[in-house]
Amino acid sequence: MDVTGLEVLDPTAERDAAERPLAGRDAEPRTIALLDIRKPRGDVFLDELEVLLRARGHEVTREAKPTFTRPAPHDLRRDIAARCDAVIEALAD
Amino acid sequence: MELLALVKHDCPVCDQVLPALDAAGVRILSQSGEAETAEQARRLGLRAVPELDEELALSERFDLEAVPAVLLLDGGAETGRVEGLHVARLAALAGRAGVSLDLQGLPEQRPGCASRTRDPDVAARLAARRARADGRIRSRPIAIGALEDPFEALYERGLTDGLPVVPPTAERVTAMLEHTSRDPQDVVGELAPYDGPATVEKVAVNAVMAGCPDEALPIVLAAVEAVCDERFALHGLLATTHPAGPVIVVSGALAQRIGMNAHGNCLGQGNRANSTIGRAVQLVVRNVGGGRPGREDRAAHGSPAKVGLAFAERLDETAPWEGLAQARGVAEDETGVTVMALEAPRVIVDQIAREPEGLCASLALALESVATPRLRLAFDAMLLVGPEHGRILREAGWSRERVQDELFARTMSPAGELVRGAGGVPEGLDPRWVSDPEMPVGKFAAPDRILLSYAGGDAGLFSMVFGGWAAGEIGSAPVTMSVAPWM
Amino acid sequence: MSCGLRDVMELETLGCPGVLVASGAFAQAAAEQAVLLGQPALRHVLVDHPVQDRTDDELRVMAGEAVEDLLRAVSP
Repeated sequence: MDVTGLEVLDPTAERDAAERPLAGRDAEPRTIALLDIRKPRGDVFLDELEVLLRARGHEVTREAKPTFTRPAPHDLRRDIAARCDAVIEALAD
Repeated sequence: MELLALVKHDCPVCDQVLPALDAAGVRILSQSGEAETAEQARRLGLRAVPELDEELALSERFDLEAVPAVLLLDGGAETGRVEGLHVARLAALAGRAGVSLDLQGLPEQRPGCASRTRDPDVAARLAARRARADGRIRSRPIAIGALEDPFEALYERGLTDGLPVVPPTAERVTAMLEHTSRDPQDVVGELAPYDGPATVEKVAVNAVMAGCPDEALPIVLAAVEAVCDERFALHGLLATTHPAGPVIVVSGALAQRIGMNAHGNCLGQGNRANSTIGRAVQLVVRNVGGGRPGREDRAAHGSPAKVGLAFAERLDETAPWEGLAQARGVAEDETGVTVMALEAPRVIVDQIAREPEGLCASLALALESVATPRLRLAFDAMLLVGPEHGRILREAGWSRERVQDELFARTMSPAGELVRGAGGVPEGLDPRWVSDPEMPVGKFAAPDRILLSYAGGDAGLFSMVFGGWAAGEIGSAPVTMSVAPWM
Repeated sequence: MSCGLRDVMELETLGCPGVLVASGAFAQAAAEQAVLLGQPALRHVLVDHPVQDRTDDELRVMAGEAVEDLLRAVSP
């Protein structure tokens, strides 16, 4: 697979990393979203994750994509990002 | 002494010469790809498939114009060449290497085809590669993922002003750097707040992103130099909650040569150079200096002018004076930029005045209200005189200084009208400092704190006022630089 | 397959730490995918392949084995 895309020159004074920024991980996530990509059997896996995470004191919300064949809709992503401290998406196979 | 031949697959003259070269055992390199070269060799019945000139390295080293090219090398150094088909010259060249070429039946002379190194895309790629190898380009490459949209990718990395930018490929930056004779690693200045060094190269990268025409680079460089000047006080300008930003006035012939607009709508949309020069400077401030809105840049509202604002002065036969940069010390035959910390412009309407005194009285009303009429001595301003107003001043023969003196005198008001609470307005002069309510208090610290520029369309009885930010030592002073050192 | 990591990338951009759970067959594709999306450090956790024919109990065991890695991927 050809992984090379466009290469551009860095316009900054190069103090920071060049990659797209990741979200900060400043604290233990309290509320975790479990995002089901809707492939078969994923729900069983996620049900168990929910049990395990609640047992560890986390709040858990269950979300689902309309289909595994496309990225999650913007609204769903924005909603998750607004309400939750972290997201676990499963199960891609 | 040995021969080296360079060919390509889609060149009929190469087809004609290849059999003879092949038969004589000359080393042959092809500028084409593996498959095309093999196909050509098969088609011509060559005994050996030519090697490939990887990355066109040899073609570039020998700076070929055309193929077929036969070079005579002595220990790797060129001592002769023939480009195209010239039977007699080829025979003579080969003879010097002790090689005999069978060129019977071929036409005496045919020009070849352009070397692939002359193909614009290829030439651009090679130039960029050479610039990197020479150390002229040193910026870290940013790899945008093949699944990323380049425009979204640059936005998401925080490198834009919110508008899409032109992806600054090495090819584009190398092409833009052709428009300055300066070394790309020369430092134009250091930018607050993090003292980021703006090299010529970094300015070019941001100028490409802004969409600047390549020829505008020297103007952008001079403007960045001005912004980095201590007198401009960029750090304070970024940190203030006031909406001012750098406004760039270009005075001189270069403005016209690169296509700037000094006429109708010179402050508005539609002209590439006007729209991108100011933007390039703001991108440098953001990307090299690190001054970003909402973080280091504390403006409460900002203004549309902070995306970037640059215009050219209209220095034709209608102009009442020489250019602003020239009045501030730039040589008459050079182009200069004046950068001033200003808010967005506001219109001044006067459709009645026919004499300079009356016009100045009108303009003074707007000047006096910069920020608020109640604050005095704290702000400078720039007046952009439009042509229909300018004609009145020019026909009366009023010099720049005469106009400034008049505006200065007419922006006085009695202290009693300016004191806090006067007219029910809380803002104003501290009453402790007002002993005599009749005493006239100037708006500006001096006549030359009202900068005058000239541009605009032929029709429209308007001028424009740009309010300054904090003036003098506590704030920012306008800075003028010649573009000449950056050409 | 690319959709999952793309979702995680977009969520990270929105400020939400994320991690994708994928089966082992996806290992190399996941690494390549992250580079293609412009962030090689995107997190994913692998579980045994195949998934489709596992019993419910087997899936629960896999979840138990993955949960620590998943929490680590979204924590400081």
